[in-house]
Amino acid sequence: MTRKELIPSLRKIVKPYVQDQEAFQNLSEETDFINDLKINSANLVDIILDVEDEFDILIDNDSMEKMLSVKAAMDIIETKLGES
Amino acid sequence: MIGNDIIDLSLAKTESNWQRKGFLEKQFTANEQQLVLEATNSFVMVWRLWSMKEAAYKIYTQQHVVRFFAPKKFECKLISVKEGVVCFESHKFYTKSIVNKHYIFTKASLEKEMRSYSEMVSPHEIDKMIKEKLKDITACPISGIVQKKSKNGAPNYYYNKSPLIKSCSISHHGNYGVFSIIEA
Repeated sequence: MTRKELIPSLRKIVKPYVQDQEAFQNLSEETDFINDLKINSANLVDIILDVEDEFDILIDNDSMEKMLSVKAAMDIIETKLGES
Repeated sequence: MIGNDIIDLSLAKTESNWQRKGFLEKQFTANEQQLVLEATNSFVMVWRLWSMKEAAYKIYTQQHVVRFFAPKKFECKLISVKEGVVCFESHKFYTKSIVNKHYIFTKASLEKEMRSYSEMVSPHEIDKMIKEKLKDITACPISGIVQKKSKNGAPNYYYNKSPLIKSCSISHHGNYGVFSIIEA
């Protein structure tokens, strides 16, 4: 899976938790889950669990700490997929 | 410093499913998971602990210009029905929570007894209501009071570039909004 192909998967995952639909329409690598999409921090846990399910990876605590943006999520998914 | 968090329980019920596989394990320590499972009302315990972690994190991010998501590292201990302690690395935060059937409100501070002011307001009028309050306590005109956020999003209020209060924390969720301040 290429980096570009990750974006549509992530869009699908974050969609149910997004509070700012305009920011969601313009979602890019630079989009921040909390500051831009206004996702409730409790729902970040859901996003992490959904990413684990979707890509069949395990996101450890150190990776989870950084998962605040689309870019960070893509980096983590790429790294974990590369390991398996 | 002060940090706060409010949770609209009816919204929390629909927004998150705490019984989802992995949900507790990702954010709660073994001790906290035990507290949840043994609680008379596990749902309320989940959100009380969560609000304690959030409120403590909001103090830490006023002290340090960082952002991260590590709820499990903010370890909660319950002292009484209202009081709790949150430890993160070598930092200790004292919390007081109000729990009722509508919402959970937690405020955290660095000292056990901290004089602070909190007010529940409409979630759409938080900024306006803070400015009203600051006008009352500082006599500065509202038109000159501005909110500025630090690099990592911690808010404070200024008049003529001088901070009006020592510390400020804002939270909103569903039907509820709240601000907490420590006067200068």
